[in-house]
Amino acid sequence: MKQPKKRRFQLSERQLGYAMVAPSIILIAVIIIWPIMLSAWNSLFDYRLNDPAKAERISSLSINLETYADNRYLVYDTMEDVREAMPDAGGALDDITTALDEQHETLLNTDEGLADRYEEVNTMLENFQPVNDEELRLTEVPEEWADGFANTLDEQTAAVQALREGAPEEAVQPLTDLESQLSNTQGSILEPNFVGLKNYTTYLGDGRTWTAMLNTLLFTVVTVGVELAIGLAVALLINRVFIGRGLVRAAVLVPWAIPTAVAAMMWTFLFDGQSGIMAHYMAQFGLIDDPGALLSTGAGGMFSIMFADIWKTTPYMALLLLAGLQTIPRSLYEAAEVDGANKFQQFISITLPMIRSAILVAVLFRALDAFRVFDLIYVLTGGGPANSTESISVYAYKLLFEQQNFGAGSALSVIVFLSVALLSTIFIKLIGSDLFSGRLKQ
Amino acid sequence: MVKRAGVGFYIFLIIFVFLVMFPFIWVFLTSIKPQGEIFSSFQWFSSNMTLDNYASALETRPLLMYMLNSFVVATLTTIISIIVASFTAYAVTRLPIRFKGLILGLVLAASMFPQIAVLSPIFNFVTDAGLRNSYLGLVIPYITISLPLAIWILSTFFIKIPLALEESAKLDGATPFQTFRKIIFPLAAPGVFTTAILVFIAAWNEYLFALTINTDDRWRTIPVGISFYQSQYTVPWGDITAATVIVTIPIVVLVLLFQRRIVAGLTSGSVKE
Repeated sequence: MKQPKKRRFQLSERQLGYAMVAPSIILIAVIIIWPIMLSAWNSLFDYRLNDPAKAERISSLSINLETYADNRYLVYDTMEDVREAMPDAGGALDDITTALDEQHETLLNTDEGLADRYEEVNTMLENFQPVNDEELRLTEVPEEWADGFANTLDEQTAAVQALREGAPEEAVQPLTDLESQLSNTQGSILEPNFVGLKNYTTYLGDGRTWTAMLNTLLFTVVTVGVELAIGLAVALLINRVFIGRGLVRAAVLVPWAIPTAVAAMMWTFLFDGQSGIMAHYMAQFGLIDDPGALLSTGAGGMFSIMFADIWKTTPYMALLLLAGLQTIPRSLYEAAEVDGANKFQQFISITLPMIRSAILVAVLFRALDAFRVFDLIYVLTGGGPANSTESISVYAYKLLFEQQNFGAGSALSVIVFLSVALLSTIFIKLIGSDLFSGRLKQ
Repeated sequence: MVKRAGVGFYIFLIIFVFLVMFPFIWVFLTSIKPQGEIFSSFQWFSSNMTLDNYASALETRPLLMYMLNSFVVATLTTIISIIVASFTAYAVTRLPIRFKGLILGLVLAASMFPQIAVLSPIFNFVTDAGLRNSYLGLVIPYITISLPLAIWILSTFFIKIPLALEESAKLDGATPFQTFRKIIFPLAAPGVFTTAILVFIAAWNEYLFALTINTDDRWRTIPVGISFYQSQYTVPWGDITAATVIVTIPIVVLVLLFQRRIVAGLTSGSVKE
């Protein structure tokens, strides 16, 4: 018998299990699930990074205290310059100050604590600190105040314009500055940009979205289909004992392991109308009219990206199917031979059913990869010519980062997400049990 | 079906491997041609071989810096995701917890989601946290790709370890965590290593996050860096082919060294045994 020793605190197996699973689940929730939900939320706004009035998601009429305080400071500062350059404008400037101060007082009284927050933002600005805290920066404002404020700004802008008539030359520049600062101040009032499903209806009614969707579907169906057919043929052919197996395997793995962007760069070179050897030979054999046709026509561009993808992935598909083939016991074929089945019958009634799950899993992962294709197309054709090779991910990327339209881009990325989810649900219905068997301790 | 191969088979094999490798061969042959010949002829071999393109590729852009960036980011990603994933894979395959199917289902779903769907929130998050143009700014989003992959592959390796070993460790008084650390983890080391290679390759190859998050030239990773060799007006094919050869070499070495492991890892996800 073992001596009962003093046990330190420890978790039971089950508790330990949950503790071990927790970090992954938290990470997945924080960096996958939460962002997807945020994307969905963003897609409901007219949210554009390049438009200061729409650079945030605003669900109700608000004021951006950061730009407000900033502009207020500039306005008063410029008025000092005007005073110096044009001493007789003092009276008019005092009126402007009074009107703005009045609005400012009203604003600070609309909400309890607003004065403190304004003070805090102002202090941060004086210390050149960016105001990143949205709670602090954005505050809802009542509509009457916003209207009154807009009117005041308009009136004072008009007053400044009047001052500029007949102002001495050195005062013209400060007056012009003052005018634009007053209208900038108007920009600190943020209209709500919640648009509901409008991004979806706009972009689902747009031809370009559907072209991108169809391109993506065509790309997925053709590449995965061809990769499966050629991959299966190759796998059947090399499913035997031969010298140099490792070398063949390595050669086959290299295209798979190369970054897609690098592969796309290589193919851009090979398809290039001037110096690309693929384009050169294809034109020589009469497959295309002229070497430039590959990257300058829609059909040529589509062919190019599909070809590059098939080159990159078929070997990998062959490898997966080969692994499936090697799990089939030889005795099955021997028995079939005895029964007089020919090679084709053996293939149909032994090989295919035995590698069914390997095929389905390979097709599932490939199809999902192909459906979200981005880098290959973005580097190889950039979606062109004339958007004819644009996939839905490429279009979403362009909206998000080239047009800085986060609302619309998010709507498209949610559409990609939903399509992928639908696709995987269908596949998993077909192969669910095969996927999970062998991974769980029951 | 398993039979000896004849001459015809080897001819087929050579053609197949040649076709697969052709782009690399051609890019390599181009990279050692002088500038003028690249644009004027389709001759396979140049009579005046030169290394000028290589010198130019390393001078025009910080290629070695890109490779260093990719290496650091991919290594950090691999270490973090392997540690976290091996805990989860162990718990799911070995410990008596509930909702295992649900957890694996969640992991599988996470591995299937399109990156574009999380890109803008992650971009905002990384920007707000001041992590643009840093290694961490890429490592965090890369976990979205690598963690599900690692859990999924590791769980197939863990399940193959005989249960008896674990039970005898338990009889000898080992705590579950000690069993994990001293018995299971060493036994699963080959599987862990295989998974690490696959995660590393996936992180090395990632393009979309790297393109949007690290926009400063000094922080670009290799896939993004290569795609920027092309300027708007000229395409310096000499530089590009040379750069491609340089970045391909580490991958070829990796694949040659570990091809057996890589295949084991890839197929473990799809083949039922």
